Order: sequence, then C-alpha cells, then structure tokens
Amino acid sequence: MTDLASIPQKLGIDAQFEARSGAQWLNVAGVGIRTLAETMNAVGARFVTITAYQLPKDEGFRLEYHWDLNGTLLGFTYDLAERKIDSIFDICPALDWIEREIHEQYIIEFEGRPYEPLLLRADATPGVNLREEAAK
Amino acid sequence: MSYKIPMGPYHPGLEEPYKLDMICEGETVKDAELHIGFNFRNIEHLAETRNFIQVNALMERVCGICSFIHTLTLCQAMEPLAGVEAPPRAKYIRVIMAELERLHSHVLWAGIAAKLMGFKTMFMTCFEIREKVMDILAAISGNRVNYSMNRVGGVNRDIEDPGAILKMVEQLEKEMVRTVIPIFTRSSTALSRCTGVGVLTHEKAISSAVVGPIARASGIPQDIRKAAPYAAYAELDFDVPVQPAGDVKARLLVRALEIMESCKLIRQALQQLPPGEIDTGDDRKIRFTTGTSTSRVEAPRGEVIYSVSFKENQRNPARVHVRTPTFANMPAVRWMVQGARLADTPLIQASIDPCYSCTDR
Repeated sequence: MTDLASIPQKLGIDAQFEARSGAQWLNVAGVGIRTLAETMNAVGARFVTITAYQLPKDEGFRLEYHWDLNGTLLGFTYDLAERKIDSIFDICPALDWIEREIHEQYIIEFEGRPYEPLLLRADATPGVNLREEAAK
Repeated sequence: MSYKIPMGPYHPGLEEPYKLDMICEGETVKDAELHIGFNFRNIEHLAETRNFIQVNALMERVCGICSFIHTLTLCQAMEPLAGVEAPPRAKYIRVIMAELERLHSHVLWAGIAAKLMGFKTMFMTCFEIREKVMDILAAISGNRVNYSMNRVGGVNRDIEDPGAILKMVEQLEKEMVRTVIPIFTRSSTALSRCTGVGVLTHEKAISSAVVGPIARASGIPQDIRKAAPYAAYAELDFDVPVQPAGDVKARLLVRALEIMESCKLIRQALQQLPPGEIDTGDDRKIRFTTGTSTSRVEAPRGEVIYSVSFKENQRNPARVHVRTPTFANMPAVRWMVQGARLADTPLIQASIDPCYSCTDR
C-alpha cells in the first residue's frame, strides 16, 4: 500500500499533503499534469473526476483533479491562464468523458486528443460556454 | 463485412434515452460507440443561480432512483463550509434511508434484468417487492420518490417508531430470501442468460476506473462505505460482496448479496438508533465560509462525488459539480459488448444498471 508521504517525493517536490474539506490536497506547482497522471498510475490510484471552475473577471480557469488512493481522496489544482492544458486521456483512459464534458462546458482545450462526437449535446455547435448560457 | 446496428436513443430494452451504435460482423459485436446527452439539463450551472435550500431540491431531481443519495452527498459537502455537523440520530436516519434506496434500486434493477431475460414472472415479483420498499420509504418520509429528507445539518423527518419500520423491513427481508435471492443465485433460467456474458476483465475494470457493483463484480473490493465511512457506517457491521468473474452473472450475484447486506444494515441502524435531535436548527442562521468541499457516498450504482464551492456569506453556491456512478461506468460498456452476441447486448448494457438522468444531469 502506497504511503501518501511518498507521493511528493515521486513527483520531485517538497510540498506535503494537507487535509482540507474532504480531501488530501497537494500543491503541485511546477509539476506537469502528465507527470502527475503517470505517478498516479504508478501508485495504483483510481481516477475520480475533474472539477472545473471559471474564476472571477478575467482570471481564467481552475481545474481540480481527483484520484482515490485506498479510500483517501486526493486533490490537485491547476490554474489555467489560458484555456488549455495537456490531455491525459492516453495515460488514464477513464478521463475520456470528463475531459470532453469540460471542453464542451468551458471551451477548455485538452491538447492532444480528439473530441468528436460531442458528449453532452450531439449535433450541437461546439464552443458554447454553458455556464454563461445558464446565467442568462 | 461489418455493419452498424443502432440501439436507441429510444429502445424497449431501456426506458431512458441513450444510443449505442454497434459495429457487427454477423451476429457478433466487434465494437461499439456510445452517445449520451439526450437528458442534458445543465443542472450544475442552474445550481449556481439558486440558494442552498433550492439547490437541495434541484439536486434531488438529478435522479429519480437515488434522489436521497444526491441530497445526502450534497449536504455532506456543504456542512463543513457551513460549520455544522448532523447529529448522531440524523446520521443513523441517513443510513436507513440510503440503504432503503439501495434496496429499491437493486430490486428495480432485478425486475428490469428479469424482463430482459424473458423472465416476466420474476419481473412482476420484483416490482411487487419494490412497492413494499417504497411503502417503507413513504412511511418514513411521506414521499415515494423525492423524499425531501436531507437538509444542511441533519434530516427533516424523524423515525418516531423504529419498531414498526423494523417489522416492515423484516417482512420484506423474508420475501427477498424466499423469492428474489434464490431465483437470481440458483435459477438455471437466469444463470444461463448471464454466465460468461458481457465480461469486464479485472484489468479493464481498473483502467476504466469503474465503481460500485460493476467494480466489485470484476474483483475490485471497493466500497466508499468501508473505505471512507460517512454518516453512521463506521459504527455498523456489514460485508462488501465481491465476485471475480466480471460477467453479468457476477453483477447479478453482487447485487443479490448486497440486498441482504442492506437489510442487515437497516436492521442494525433501527435497533441502535440513538436518541436526540435530528438537525442543527434554523436554516436562516446558516452562513457559509469561502472554500471548496467534497463529499463521496456509495450510491446503489457506485461512488457519487460532489464538489461544492461557496463564497463568504453567500447563499448561492459558486459551483456545484457532481460525478455520478453511471458517468464512470458507462464507457466500460464498450469493452463488455466486444465479442458478445447482438441478442445479449440489451442485457449487457442493463447489467451496469445505467442511469442516464444521472449521467447527463
């Protein structure tokens, strides 16, 4: 069974996990998402979900990636100044639908993967920010 | 020569809309493409335009089968941000409701699976028993589908006479043991349609990150009630049924055994129901702090996760994200139908107990 404390070491960072609001959070500043995904696979963690946030004004977007390791929910945050991040679908196939859903909801590009056909709204126009549509 | 057979979005094998395009050679399915979104309601973003009490009512309508589970997970996510915790009695009532919901969901699934097997008598028997579970849910909550039981900091209704509910549960358990369980675990009619059909290997189950009975039927002993206990589960004794084969029969057996475990949990929770309050007081006094909170619950179909975000003193959430179990399980149907006979595909897709209302949100 993988010790949580060993994960920062595997990622080559000094930060430690911090328990907060139902998950163990690790500051992964400087660690690419693909490196993180490969590490999660290596320790046997199960992918859970990605939560996307549109930040106020023009501050961009935040993606929170969650994996489960032996019942512990792990959380990793990535702030996106631009609407793009590397896809990890090829490393972790379980992300397929959630990457597609976030692409459709927030027009965020997960680089290096196809999107068609659309997940939520087949035959609809891609690139509509559904969050902004709901607020109208 | 291969050809494509579309199943859905409207199909007698499943009442909810989704589409499975199967690429076949003769009667054998070589591959499949899945299409969802026919029930898309943009609920997550609608939630940002409602206050936390309205959001509770909204998220209860994500799913008509596991409506209690959705509000339970939502309230458990909101409670740390509101600085409140449900009292012990409320936590036990949450377990009782959650397990009753698992019972009616599993029996409903058993009925639908029986219908797809051509076992119509069993379908009628299952739905008759499910009605009795619904009667217990209605006796506790006053409602059959959307129970309005959960609130931030507790539950809305008490179980004033646990003894009466216990009698109803014991009667129900007897009928399950007499009819549903033996037929689904020993009947040659049921087992011949399910054995070796729709296999999801252990390796594929891991790489697909499937959850709930689908994972447990592929040999993964994963259950949030054990791994990360919530409500009163840590104080109750129960087993997590696991089957290694990964076929439809294994999914059938896991759910049949889970019905018995749910009865065991309900009986314990009713017998141990602690005295005291069922909530923390007036909703109008609730104030949220800035932050994000997550909660996970083991729904009948597997793990549900809610991420909720609030800003200081705001009554509307800044963000509500829900990842439902069918959203995690559905992509694995592609691996289950590869190599299957076309005639088996309705039963295979039904074997994951899919919920498109949940998936599409």
